Amino acid sequence: MREDMGLIVKTTARAIIPLIGIFGAYIVVHGHLTPGGGFQGGATIAGAGILFLVAFGLDEMKKHYNKSLYSVLEGVGGLAFLGAAMLGMGVAFFYNTLWHNGPFFNGEPGTLLSAGFLPIMNLAVGLKVFTGLVSALTAIALYRRWKS
Amino acid sequence: MPFIVAFVFAYILWLVLTAGTNGLLWSTGELVAGLIFAGLVAYATRDIIGEKSTRFLNPIKWLEFAVYSVGPLFWGMVKANFHVAWLVITGKIRPGIVRVPVDLENDAQYTILSNSITLTPGTLTIDACPEEKALYVHWIDIPEGLERPENSEPVSGPFEKWARRLGR
Repeated sequence: MREDMGLIVKTTARAIIPLIGIFGAYIVVHGHLTPGGGFQGGATIAGAGILFLVAFGLDEMKKHYNKSLYSVLEGVGGLAFLGAAMLGMGVAFFYNTLWHNGPFFNGEPGTLLSAGFLPIMNLAVGLKVFTGLVSALTAIALYRRWKS
Repeated sequence: MPFIVAFVFAYILWLVLTAGTNGLLWSTGELVAGLIFAGLVAYATRDIIGEKSTRFLNPIKWLEFAVYSVGPLFWGMVKANFHVAWLVITGKIRPGIVRVPVDLENDAQYTILSNSITLTPGTLTIDACPEEKALYVHWIDIPEGLERPENSEPVSGPFEKWARRLGR
């Protein structure tokens, strides 16, 4: 049985996957300015990965998917979140020291480089959600066969 | 270099999304962040966008796409919508699936032609078979004697010529 979709779906997926990726990145990066944020953007980018899996089939996905890399990136996302939360430990856990007296991310509210550690946390959550969802869906797709 | 293609299209979408951060233009931070994230996305998708996709970086081709979408495609959609409205009112239909032989070479041409046929109401592409150089199209109102068309002219009008030109 063929595992991939037809020619039209595959060609459209080729064109559309980078655009879904950059739109998800836009949602993650502007999490402190516009609706959305780490989870929503990460799930959007994971949608691009799942579109690849569905359109091109499991064999092609196996060639492009690296279990160790995705596992490591998910851990890095969690650690970056924790690291951002620990930055202001001199005052309190989750104290936003980057916003109050940090060297960067303390610009005018409403601009990209504002809101202290929020952009870092959004990026961390986005990375974690993206890698986690793609890993989960790939594992489900790989799950042996229908019987036993 | 498929990387460049993915990068250019991703960066253009980023610029469209973030326009207006500095007056009507872009602030420096947005431009730099766009470079970084478009680079990341392009690096991640460089294998899947297609080896020969650099031909879509040609500005003449972009102009042709713009002319096609506001000209023949839009006009075809308007005409076909009124035709289907007429078919709905009268209820006289003759549906069926026809095999349309086409003379196209690559995936992009098949995709453009299939999407154009699906966008014009009354016809719907079901499958594209490049190995037998044919499309299978569901047609809501087949005229008498056109059950086995010789070419795509009765189904899609001038779209095949445009698809051949745009996807080349």
